[in-house]
Amino acid sequence: MSLEFAYYPGCAAKQVQKEAASSAEAVAEVLGITLKPMTRATCCGAVSLRETKPAFSLAVAARILSEAEAMGHDLCTICNTCLQTLSHANYRFKHEPDILEQINGVLKKAGVRPYEASIKVHHLLWVVTEQVDPELLKSKIVRPINGMNVAPFYGCHSQRPEEIFDARKGDKVDQLDQLIRAVGGNAVEYEGKDKCCGFHVMLSDKNEMRTMVGKNCLDAKSSGAELMISPCTLCDMAMGAYQGPAESVVGESIDLPEMNFAQLLGIALGIDSKILGISRLHVDPTPAFKERNV
Amino acid sequence: MESKKYTLRIQRNEQNSDGSIASKWQDFTVEGLDTTTILSFLEDIKGNQDGSLTFRQSCRSAICGSCAMRIGDRTRLACKTHIGEVVDENGVVDISPQRNQPVLKDLVIDIDPFFEKIRKIRPYLTEGEDSDTHVGASAYDQVNHVTQCIMCGSCYSDCTMSEVSDEYLGPAALAKAFRFVSDPREGKKTARLKALSKDHGMWSCVRCVQCVATCPKDVKPMEAIVKLRTRGIEKGFVKGVGQRHALAFHEDINKSGDLNEFTLLTRSVGIFGSIAEMGVAFHLMQKGKIPSPFPHKAEGIQEVRAMYHELEANPLDVETKAAEVEPE
Repeated sequence: MSLEFAYYPGCAAKQVQKEAASSAEAVAEVLGITLKPMTRATCCGAVSLRETKPAFSLAVAARILSEAEAMGHDLCTICNTCLQTLSHANYRFKHEPDILEQINGVLKKAGVRPYEASIKVHHLLWVVTEQVDPELLKSKIVRPINGMNVAPFYGCHSQRPEEIFDARKGDKVDQLDQLIRAVGGNAVEYEGKDKCCGFHVMLSDKNEMRTMVGKNCLDAKSSGAELMISPCTLCDMAMGAYQGPAESVVGESIDLPEMNFAQLLGIALGIDSKILGISRLHVDPTPAFKERNV
Repeated sequence: MESKKYTLRIQRNEQNSDGSIASKWQDFTVEGLDTTTILSFLEDIKGNQDGSLTFRQSCRSAICGSCAMRIGDRTRLACKTHIGEVVDENGVVDISPQRNQPVLKDLVIDIDPFFEKIRKIRPYLTEGEDSDTHVGASAYDQVNHVTQCIMCGSCYSDCTMSEVSDEYLGPAALAKAFRFVSDPREGKKTARLKALSKDHGMWSCVRCVQCVATCPKDVKPMEAIVKLRTRGIEKGFVKGVGQRHALAFHEDINKSGDLNEFTLLTRSVGIFGSIAEMGVAFHLMQKGKIPSPFPHKAEGIQEVRAMYHELEANPLDVETKAAEVEPE
């Protein structure tokens, strides 16, 4: 089966969290997944655009989806918020023909190819756990993580609302757990695994956001986690870069290395740590890996 | 259908003399069908195994909202939840009281803080200058979304912001507020939006969608919050950090296509706010993470601007609407 996608990394992965993009791209190459760049795609607008300009946000999403459709591929992203925003719009286009027609009217007037609502929106994590041949994945693991306890942090926007994610098979959200097991780790069960990282109120509700980060990390740690992974560049930023500020709010040291799922997978696939941007992480994961002889 | 044995792992809570709560888990074995409700099992336990087990219940028909409690991974109505939907592979389910409010005994919480917030948004129609005297056929497209709310508190119990903030209004109160803001008869729509735009109001929702997933009546509180925000911005209540952050998005998309993360901070929190964020910024800088002030420019950006201008000239109403309700 050929795995080719129109690749939509999202703004954070192009800028602050670019290690997620370089890791995702390197991992995809090893696993035979072709990620084709989208040259015309803009920012998805997130819920922010839906709040400020509801119709424009659908038009922006339709233009992005239409580019992927014209390339002849489903779309694949590595950001939960992009995933949710584009899936939400796609769900509406597929279920509300009137809305699709109206938005296509706007696209046509602006010289954009109309969207036919024929493609699906995927997360690279789902592609790895659901579409890549498990035997192939197994054969490529050259540096298993030797039973390391890893906390999966799913992030809200790849889980809810369930009905919009038509590219995910079944109901169960356990793709990170599957990935952790596939690379030889042990997936930690903990209270915060499907909670919010607080990213979207990082600036407006600072203390609340930092408390969320602190609680989720401490939850994971007290359940034995040596590392945390997320499938979202925004969760990465919150749970990683804000761990320091969170420590001063919760009044406890956290010191839990956090990385993108593609970085952990990249380590197990033996990809160079420079490509994976391990030095850009806020809490150095090297001691944790050394402890496990990885 | 075959009768089976199940284990209800119930959190028993007792108030100590100093007001603190002593908590322990107790297993009860019960027998029933896949489709037996949790409430039936709780009544069975209270009647036949342990009369001291305390919980709230009334209508048994998912309309009074009394029996909301944590069942498995989220808050649910005990009367509406079939055991088969929530047990693990060993036939076990955890049951505990609602979260984010003080526990009184076993599965009973003090629901006053929840209703305090409902009262705060003044849950009644008020007279005033915004009243529309014409109530047309489409008037309840929005109102009807949220009138199904039964005030069970499930959304408040699972709200990730309410977990860390005592002041946040919470999903049910905000959905109720939207019910009035979207009612053509309401006279103080603008004043309501102004009040809701303050701290710990509609802009404090993290948009985790947990309330949408939890609500047993499909009210979709977060969708109501998103619609409140749109209306608040339209009325010009744009001074808060949340609003300024949201507004930055369409500016950037029109300018280059991608978000300008370099200037996003100053546009959201202003120059003083940015200095306050410097601790984090310094940390980001050490890791080589200061974004470029000149983000990548998408091809065909003029198309995006053309879409924007078209929609500013000829606005489209794309809001989701409540389904038509046929008289029974």
